[in-house]
Amino acid sequence: MHYLTDIILIALGAALINNFVLYYFVGICPFIGVSRRIDMAIGMGFAVTFVISIAAFLSWTITTFMLKPGAPVSKWAAGFFMPAASAAQVDLTVLSYIVYIFAIASSVQFVEMYVRRFYPSLYRSFGVFLPLITTNCAILFACLIIFSRIVGVDNPADAWDIGRALTLAVFGGIGFTIAITIMAGIREELELCDIPKPLKGAGITLIVASILAMAFMGFTGVDSGLKSALTPAAVEHTQSAEE
Amino acid sequence: MPVAPTPAERFIQGILPENPVYRQLLGLCPTLAVTNGLKAALTMAGAVAFVLFCANIVTSMIRHLLKPHLRIVIFTLIIATFVTITDRFLAAYMYNMSKTLGPYIPLIIVNCIIICRCEVCASRQSMFTAAADALGQAGGFALALASIAAVREVLGTGQLFGIQVLPTVWPNWIIMILPPGAFMTLGLLLGAVNWIQLRRSEKAGQTSE
Amino acid sequence: MKPLPPLDPIASSALERLKHNYILQAWLVLMLALFFGASLAVVHLRLGPRIEQNKANETRHRIPEIILGSARAEDPARQERALTSSARTISVKKQGRELLYTVYEARHPEGNLAGWVAKAAGQGYADKVELLIGFSPSVDAITGIFVLDQKETPGLGNKITTVDWRSQFAEIKTAQPVEVIKSGAKRPNQIDAITGATISSRSVTRIVNTTVEDLRGPLAALARNAKD
Repeated sequence: MHYLTDIILIALGAALINNFVLYYFVGICPFIGVSRRIDMAIGMGFAVTFVISIAAFLSWTITTFMLKPGAPVSKWAAGFFMPAASAAQVDLTVLSYIVYIFAIASSVQFVEMYVRRFYPSLYRSFGVFLPLITTNCAILFACLIIFSRIVGVDNPADAWDIGRALTLAVFGGIGFTIAITIMAGIREELELCDIPKPLKGAGITLIVASILAMAFMGFTGVDSGLKSALTPAAVEHTQSAEE
Repeated sequence: MPVAPTPAERFIQGILPENPVYRQLLGLCPTLAVTNGLKAALTMAGAVAFVLFCANIVTSMIRHLLKPHLRIVIFTLIIATFVTITDRFLAAYMYNMSKTLGPYIPLIIVNCIIICRCEVCASRQSMFTAAADALGQAGGFALALASIAAVREVLGTGQLFGIQVLPTVWPNWIIMILPPGAFMTLGLLLGAVNWIQLRRSEKAGQTSE
Repeated sequence: MKPLPPLDPIASSALERLKHNYILQAWLVLMLALFFGASLAVVHLRLGPRIEQNKANETRHRIPEIILGSARAEDPARQERALTSSARTISVKKQGRELLYTVYEARHPEGNLAGWVAKAAGQGYADKVELLIGFSPSVDAITGIFVLDQKETPGLGNKITTVDWRSQFAEIKTAQPVEVIKSGAKRPNQIDAITGATISSRSVTRIVNTTVEDLRGPLAALARNAKD
């Protein structure tokens, strides 16, 4: 029950409250570049969601089993060179950024080969955008959040498991899709408007994005309210004492 | 055949004519995220300058060994290494700033500016040209970040670098420090730069007739 | 991806060139990887300890201020009589789950207990709020709080970090839970909420009350054992 509450809060947080594009400012380049038509926007959103999930899975696995201090694989490998006590302290997190970016590049390569094989028309319409997902900040950002929730916690029991990591990744991608699709819908309407020349293209997109961000700010606090609603009544007892 | 730009040309182009943020629309993620204070913005600009400079130099050194299908992998490896070094350095010597900048320092790895410069300039020209290009682009990026951060910080808190510049009766426009303010500031400043550019090309068009 | 070479027989020199190409490529990437790996290891060894030190100091530097109150902690006459602190982990069983609290034990130079500082976290209005809460040695009063990390609304909720608001927590007795009143707090265990940020104020108070409830027993027991 506690786990389910956690998952719901993480999902809601990643998709709406702390939306990757409108709150954390990651994934802005495709947000401005690809959001001209709704069908391309949805396609891009799904592609990014797919890649984020694979990349998050890879980075969680590698961090938990190889990089963090006391990880099984590094402990076993270092056990050949040094006594067991210091082998358990071996900290490979300095390599984490390099490992993540290569995991992302491989995920994109894998997705590209898959789409090229099974959906050739989709592949042709995407053109150069698919390899560009490698430089999409949103994917590396998701990996970094997962990293901070595994390595950056004081209490090892609080470290995120694979379920929470994947929830963050999938719903972060869904939030990205929501934002980019809304933007595409608005931009399709804007094509009929008389926009001043200096603001055409990126300028008006950013101003519309600011209004969207203001709208999404309305979601703040939904998770704290939801948390107190979903937490079992026994804990509520101590809280109601102060009301 | 077009002549490759000289180092001086590369440097000057990077600051305004080919400004990475305002003209090329690259690296918008940190531009929006860290510009709610001038100090954070300049630290980020410094970090990007360091990574860009080192990455350009190293890429330029090995440019004759690069082959088409592996070059992106090699660029990424070089950039990721320098970003890790920068991140550790900031955590060691400027801990509070490192916490403020948070995950945006590692995001320099996927910052399009650096990969773009490696691809366009450093992998084709000599070390000196690459260095000049890096400094020019970094200068342009710092200019862009500083302009946006100045606007946001002054309107949002009445302070600049922590020093009060507006009278305290100024009702702080908190929205400027929040995400909507970031988008709005960048959009309007981008419009302003485009407008200046259009006026200039109009004047150039008129005088040439 | 490059297209596959045609199927008619390839001249042996071309084949040699192809093989030579790929070997050179792999060689370059591996050399770079080794070189960069080595430099990163050096960076990690040199800067790692300093970073750990920064992280630990973040909390330790706050301890005198929280236990003694900011005025006394900054008093230059006290500098030679600085507090020493050591960390310990307290485990609390709650609803079948085990919670681990990091608690710092602060002692005067003479060796007697000056107080406790517990690190606690909880849900604020937006995202997590991390606090340091100071207690008197027998946990009968709160000596002060400090906000380590928060993402509340700037200009409204993030006023929980201001000294003015936080100082309301000093000297509150722990016998009763702390209460948040919208304005005009009268009784000793009541504090004023921040105007326009009631939820942030309530969240901080809830975290303080929960921590007091969880740690009161174990810390008081430790203090008694230390005295004997």
